Amino acid sequence: MEEKIVIKNLTKEFYDEQRGAIKAVNDLSFTAYAGEIFGLLGPNGAGKTTTLRMMATLMKPNAGTISINGFDTDQDAQNVRKSMGFLSATTALYPRLSPREIITYFANLNGYPEENTKERVEELIKHFGITKYADTLSEKLSTGMKQITSIARTIVHDPPVLILDEPSSGLDVIVAQKIHEHIIDLKNQGKTIIFSSHNMGEVEKVCDRIGVINNGKLLTTGTLDELREITGKYYMEEIFIYLVQEYESVKQKELETAND
Amino acid sequence: MKTLITIYLKDLLRNKYTTMMVMLVPVLLYPMLYWGITQFLMVKTGLTDNQEINLSLDIRSDKFTSIKDSIATIHNFKTTETADENFNKEGIYLIVDEVDYLPYYTIHLDSTNSIQKQFFGKLKVKLSGYYDLQLGGRIDASDYDTDYFDTFWVVRHNIDGGDEAMTKILSILIPMMSIITIIAGIGTGAVELTAGHTEDKTTETTLTTALSRKSIILAKVFATNIYGLVAGIINFTFLTFVIMQIISVLMMQFTNKKLDFDWSVILNLRTLLLSLLSLAIISYMMSLIFVAAAGFAKTRKESNILITPFFMAFMIMSYVVIIPAIEPSLVISLVPVLNIAMVIKLLIVNDIQIVFFTETILFSLIWMFLLYKLLLPFMLEEEIILGNSNTSLIKQIKGRFAKWKKK
Repeated sequence: MEEKIVIKNLTKEFYDEQRGAIKAVNDLSFTAYAGEIFGLLGPNGAGKTTTLRMMATLMKPNAGTISINGFDTDQDAQNVRKSMGFLSATTALYPRLSPREIITYFANLNGYPEENTKERVEELIKHFGITKYADTLSEKLSTGMKQITSIARTIVHDPPVLILDEPSSGLDVIVAQKIHEHIIDLKNQGKTIIFSSHNMGEVEKVCDRIGVINNGKLLTTGTLDELREITGKYYMEEIFIYLVQEYESVKQKELETAND
Repeated sequence: MKTLITIYLKDLLRNKYTTMMVMLVPVLLYPMLYWGITQFLMVKTGLTDNQEINLSLDIRSDKFTSIKDSIATIHNFKTTETADENFNKEGIYLIVDEVDYLPYYTIHLDSTNSIQKQFFGKLKVKLSGYYDLQLGGRIDASDYDTDYFDTFWVVRHNIDGGDEAMTKILSILIPMMSIITIIAGIGTGAVELTAGHTEDKTTETTLTTALSRKSIILAKVFATNIYGLVAGIINFTFLTFVIMQIISVLMMQFTNKKLDFDWSVILNLRTLLLSLLSLAIISYMMSLIFVAAAGFAKTRKESNILITPFFMAFMIMSYVVIIPAIEPSLVISLVPVLNIAMVIKLLIVNDIQIVFFTETILFSLIWMFLLYKLLLPFMLEEEIILGNSNTSLIKQIKGRFAKWKKK
């Protein structure tokens, strides 16, 4: 399988006046392959968003490397951004532009061929069912509509890699369901998707492989079945709680026993 | 970058908040400014003991030659008798004529000169006294009814003429107003495009597009510049019209004359183009400063606080053109904002020197380049661009300061 995202020994430190240097991400490594949805899970403050931001070239790591679609985020940031679509946790739409304007402008900003832009925009508007609202200012749209517009904006330039930070957060079940369908559809088109969420149900449903991080460190990665095997738990929620609360201490004890 | 500038401008122009700010600030500010200026022009400054003023005295009737003795009693009047129509414009010119056996005075003075106006007050008392004396003699000699002779009339002419006086007023108002309106527009635009976009999280999504960070920052600077310049000029035109109306009303009230100002004095192609060029340079400089300053904030509120000192500083610098003693020089051409205000002032009074204009443009371009080089690294800082005020550079400065404090 083709490696689309390769993260090696990633570290990011922040400076706090009281606490000094804090490692938000600590020696993190994982790989995501073409045509898979990789779920990145962790409790609040675990370092998920910082990792995603570094992948999106918004932040520079203090150590380690990130390769996206074969481009290094430090050496070739512009090509990384061309190969990637980033959806932040908030809808982050220009409030006084309409969905049609936003999608068109982001196609231009990402260097999508100008002659095909109109056709591509109309195709996405139709595909996501936002024709009725396409010319309404986005500040007047519902949260669901905003999020769907955000997804259309993220994929307008047809990037091979998508980074989705909590794409269905704050949405009702029906809209969330629609978004899951769109995400699976994108995966079926061969996209590599990094999917971050606090909703364990949707992670179970959508992700092919899952990585769990806590305190900036990657605890483990695997398919849902592999995680079930490691933890002895069945539901993703139980797996997650076990990994975050007990897994580290269990592993530490195992290590101490082995040393003795 | 063109697309991004279009996005930013659309966003600003459709924003009720920014539109309100740009319209409201000058509408509230200018009546106050106008009031301040009229107060300044009308203020009665105290005269110093050694303050002298030229009085050119043109006595056209032999009957009233004794008037010069009466005037001589006024302290610090430097009187010269003359019959020359090309009188000294640096002082007051008094013509004493005879009408119906009595003195008839015509006075030429610069009504915008507060010193002349004060000496005029003293002169008027003497002229009135002399008239009464002559009138008393005439009444006694002819046994007339005193009530019939109650008229004392001084015909006062402004030596600059209506156009020149108005040009002088506009040469003070226009540089200040144009610069302040542009600063107001730039400030509003900068806040919205930096902290506003950080608050709305749109900066983050834009940063993940194929554009370079430098292009995004420059797009913000250019959009702020265009918005500030256009909003400023629209506002300025509107407010100039309002102020001209007020002046017109005042003139009607005080002189009973309708304002008949020849606008071609200032509305000519050369003045307009050179003023626009100067304003475009200053607005680009200020856009750089305001975008950099506003970018340190996470919210619009914080951002407004951060830009206020710059707003005040530039506003005060543009006020300096009021001071008559400030004249074009190499030093003035070095001072940003003040130099452009001075150029516009000189363009309006048609007294611009090519050397001063060239120096001003040259130094402004140097300032622009230096500011760009100095501020761009700050604006590109990861934490600034993402809306956190603690940049690594600031941390370093803070760290050094803490060490120094410890020592």
